[in-house]
Amino acid sequence: MNKYLFSLLLVIAVVLTACSDTGGSDDASEFPTDNIEIVAPASPGGGWDGTARAMQKIFDDENIIEKNMNVVNKPGGGGEVGWQYLKDQDAHTFAINSSLVITNNLLGQSDLTYKDFTPLAILTTEWISVAVAPDSEFDNGIDILEQLKEDPTSLKIAVAPSLGNNDHLAFVQAAKEYGVDVTQLEFMIYESGGDVVTALLGDHVDVATMSVSEAKEQHLAGKLKMVAVGSNEPIEGLEDVQTWKEQGIDLEFPHWRGVMGPPDMSEEEIAYWDETISTLVETEAWQELLVNNEWESYYMNSEEATEFLEEQTENYNQLLKDAGLID
Amino acid sequence: MGVDIQNFIEGLMTALHPMNILWVLIGGFLGTVVGMLPGLGPATAVAVLIPITFGMDPTSALVLMAAIYYGAMYGGSRSSILINTPGDGSAIAATFDGYPMTRNGQAGQALTISAIASLIGGIFAIIGFILLAKPLAAFALKFGPAEYFLLFLFTLSAIVSLSRGKMVKGFIAMAIGLMLSTVGIDLQTGVHRFTFDIPQLSEGIDFLVVIIGVYAVGEVLYNYLNLDRLKNKNKLGKKWITKDQWKRSKWPIIRNGPIGFLIGVLPGAGGSIASMLSYTTERQISKEPERFGKGAIEGVAAPESSNNAASVGSFIPLLTMGVPGSGTTAVILGAVIMLGLRPGPLLFEESPEMVWTLVNSMFIGNIILVIINILLISVLVKILNTPPRVLYPLILVLAFIGTYTLSYSVIDFYILVIFGIIGLLMKLLDFPIAPLILALIVGSDMEQNFRKSVVAHDHIMNVLLASPVTITLSILTILSISYPFIMSWVQNRKSKQADAA
Repeated sequence: MNKYLFSLLLVIAVVLTACSDTGGSDDASEFPTDNIEIVAPASPGGGWDGTARAMQKIFDDENIIEKNMNVVNKPGGGGEVGWQYLKDQDAHTFAINSSLVITNNLLGQSDLTYKDFTPLAILTTEWISVAVAPDSEFDNGIDILEQLKEDPTSLKIAVAPSLGNNDHLAFVQAAKEYGVDVTQLEFMIYESGGDVVTALLGDHVDVATMSVSEAKEQHLAGKLKMVAVGSNEPIEGLEDVQTWKEQGIDLEFPHWRGVMGPPDMSEEEIAYWDETISTLVETEAWQELLVNNEWESYYMNSEEATEFLEEQTENYNQLLKDAGLID
Repeated sequence: MGVDIQNFIEGLMTALHPMNILWVLIGGFLGTVVGMLPGLGPATAVAVLIPITFGMDPTSALVLMAAIYYGAMYGGSRSSILINTPGDGSAIAATFDGYPMTRNGQAGQALTISAIASLIGGIFAIIGFILLAKPLAAFALKFGPAEYFLLFLFTLSAIVSLSRGKMVKGFIAMAIGLMLSTVGIDLQTGVHRFTFDIPQLSEGIDFLVVIIGVYAVGEVLYNYLNLDRLKNKNKLGKKWITKDQWKRSKWPIIRNGPIGFLIGVLPGAGGSIASMLSYTTERQISKEPERFGKGAIEGVAAPESSNNAASVGSFIPLLTMGVPGSGTTAVILGAVIMLGLRPGPLLFEESPEMVWTLVNSMFIGNIILVIINILLISVLVKILNTPPRVLYPLILVLAFIGTYTLSYSVIDFYILVIFGIIGLLMKLLDFPIAPLILALIVGSDMEQNFRKSVVAHDHIMNVLLASPVTITLSILTILSISYPFIMSWVQNRKSKQADAA
């Protein structure tokens, strides 16, 4: 018995040494040395999860990354749970992020900011629209703002899933630009974008602010009427909807998504992700994904992303103050 | 929309395509299996399968995912009936009389009636879908915050009938459930309530964790305490139902198919609410309410018919408006969008063949499922012959796995264990469990809708009188609360008169 045990131990020891040997040499030469883990800080089904799974699939299908990749879902706290988890991982893990990585902190709901991580890229954006019922008296965004300027409590505005998110702040910013007392606005908060659409279709609210992808089909079917979008230029397929800029409001409001790695990544590791991600966003499969989801490419590499996040932090700080959510 | 015969036939042909039949078979079987395991519900099953649907034809993907969904409705009640641990929220109601039937040695019959009830409920709902999809979608839109608030209140009023005989304990359990439902971020203000700086709590306590804890873990602990007295005296009994049982179940099944279907269509309700409401309605209108909770076969038939109908109904808002009517359809929506399909008001006009293929596949799927489920009965009842020292550890393992898949968080394990102990205490102290679960399921939505409706209607009285729907629901709620009291008063009077005579 003892003899067997000894030989077994010997075998294990040999195997282990062999493994650590190759592992060691790889480590010095090229990253990655291990399987890649993509953290979607949300449950399956949403935009974060969709982005993570699409990246996994395309990285793999197009042979951009040879290592195995897994998507792990870490829902909770508006990204907080997933990002806390990311913080303790090594460079083989990265997570999807969005403006919540900035606003959670500003709203006092989290200690984490983008500075606790390594921004790797900004990938996509959606645009945010304002919609009303098809028989509504409002035909453009300005009319809505005009009425709100006279009486900020006269309209009920639907938004999901929380105050301080992009859908909410995009509307606040437009209203502020027009001189509306935004602290008085009456928002009704729904659990999801789908609930907001239902509330508007059923005439339970007057105005809704939501992403274009959630409203587009309904608009085309004449079930609701989009009256403004926060994009730079009119959106393809929705040329009849004026941007805020065309209506004289200086506003561009991207609802972006990006990726970030754990803190303290080496330059070499960052360069690896810059290279693979820039290849990823050029693939046809990625372009198709964008079209299917009504997303737009908003690619920035790690350096640009870091600057962008800094800029966004200032911007959000001001917006949240204006909305009366922070002092 | 009317029934477009040509599209219907085309859809039937596509649904009968061998590949699609295979997907229905795989989906239905998979759904049945995950439905049976505590915590693993249809939403998880669909989410796990999303990568497989990449590259699939969107119609087939939809057929597969739908089959998983209603398959889970069939499967969910299996574990409710056999081991008193519901597979997911909509299978809770099946424990009320299903498990007592097992104790009475009628497990086989309980399983059979639940499969048959699911089939009939499902068929009702499919017919409803074919004839009424569009008008019902329009009706569902009328449900604003006020209507939802009152619907949830009406559901909650069922607690009176669920707690009959131990009213005070029932209300205590309900109060605990309502308190638990306030944990998490408050949507209307963004304030964190009772989260103790634990980010995992910010989205509230998942009622599925509580269900698994109270039922599965609680049941295991309870049986552990009684291990000496526990004997394998459970007989499987006959598999086929008797004529008398069919007579008792027939009308409850027929009544509750449409009820479940209608509730399923509402984007804010779902299978859990549907099956609970069906159970309590049957109990209240029954001539012999005292039989309920002790193994009344109609108490199994009614909720089972209802929850399967609700799963079909929840596809209506998804396919006509692009709005998911339940957690599972939300995941399905995410998956089909990835495939380039965007369900919405244009889907019926632009790709009717897809809608009709789905509807037809549901029809085929339900028939396949009833066969699978009845064949499985002889295998499943073997569970009852499993020695407790094997069975209960196994249930514990499944409970933990199921819990982990809900949000991949270890915090949920602690919550699971805590509720296991609470479940045990409730059993020992003879508290009814259903009021706690029901309050937890409806509590948060009820509160949010109440607050939104007060903003929308400015005053609480306006909320109650906002529309014909709210007035009807208000009256139903009052009736539901007072019915048992009126009944006992009438009976008292009768017996007094009888005494006097």
